[in-house]
Amino acid sequence: MSFELMIALSVGAAMFGTGLYGALSQTNLVMIIMGVELVLAAALVNLVAFWRYLHPDEPAAQMFVLIIMAVMAVEMTVGFGIAIARFRSRGSVEMEEARELKG
Amino acid sequence: MTIQMFFLAFFGGAAVWFGIVVFRTHSMVRSALALLFSQTAVGLMFLAMQAEFLGVLQIMMMATEMSVMAIFMVMFMMDPGGMGAMEMTHQKRLSLWAGGLGVVAALAAIWLANWGPAVAEVPSAAEQTADLGRELLGRSMFIFQSAGLTILTAMVAATMVAIAPQKERPE
Repeated sequence: MSFELMIALSVGAAMFGTGLYGALSQTNLVMIIMGVELVLAAALVNLVAFWRYLHPDEPAAQMFVLIIMAVMAVEMTVGFGIAIARFRSRGSVEMEEARELKG
Repeated sequence: MTIQMFFLAFFGGAAVWFGIVVFRTHSMVRSALALLFSQTAVGLMFLAMQAEFLGVLQIMMMATEMSVMAIFMVMFMMDPGGMGAMEMTHQKRLSLWAGGLGVVAALAAIWLANWGPAVAEVPSAAEQTADLGRELLGRSMFIFQSAGLTILTAMVAATMVAIAPQKERPE
């Protein structure tokens, strides 16, 4: 067992919890996106730690990191597209005022 | 304690601390900067784990992404400077429980699982980058191209959503 791996994974766990708290507790769309970014950053830390300490000869593990980075970019793009549309139509990106999205 | 362990713990602590600051400050600009520092600390963790290419990529990408985010926050927030100390949270108790349970469950899985022995040696930085390039342009090319196409589609779709004609805003 490697303590370096444990430290990295524990940091990932703490970032995941912080991001989950932020995504659930914030009322503003941009802040919710920030919470999701933290959760995805936690996934990045875990992937790099697994690559480094368990499979350093496997470049596919690094490829997964690039895919998660692409997911982060897509999440921000879509999130801000929705934010702009919402702001133009309602003048606010407060999710408390978006209850009609429930259907 | 090895040097690598020290730097991992130091940058990891910084990443978590700045992550917490994101949701503790009332100023949105400070929030964006805290997230930038948190993501930079994650990039520095990558460097400490000898993933040079990914570390530098993470720092460069997040610096740009968080700068864009800061601009959006100033544009959209009612009180971007946080001078009014507005309350912008809801279901705090539920969120704290969910976050706390998530951390405890993840820590339990991490510390109870048998991960096997760690590998001491890693390929050199040049070798890693060459291997990653061969992986991206070989076996994983379809996935890599799909990711690029997905980003392009998201950019076009987000632009279309953002510039679509809107109804008159209700006063």
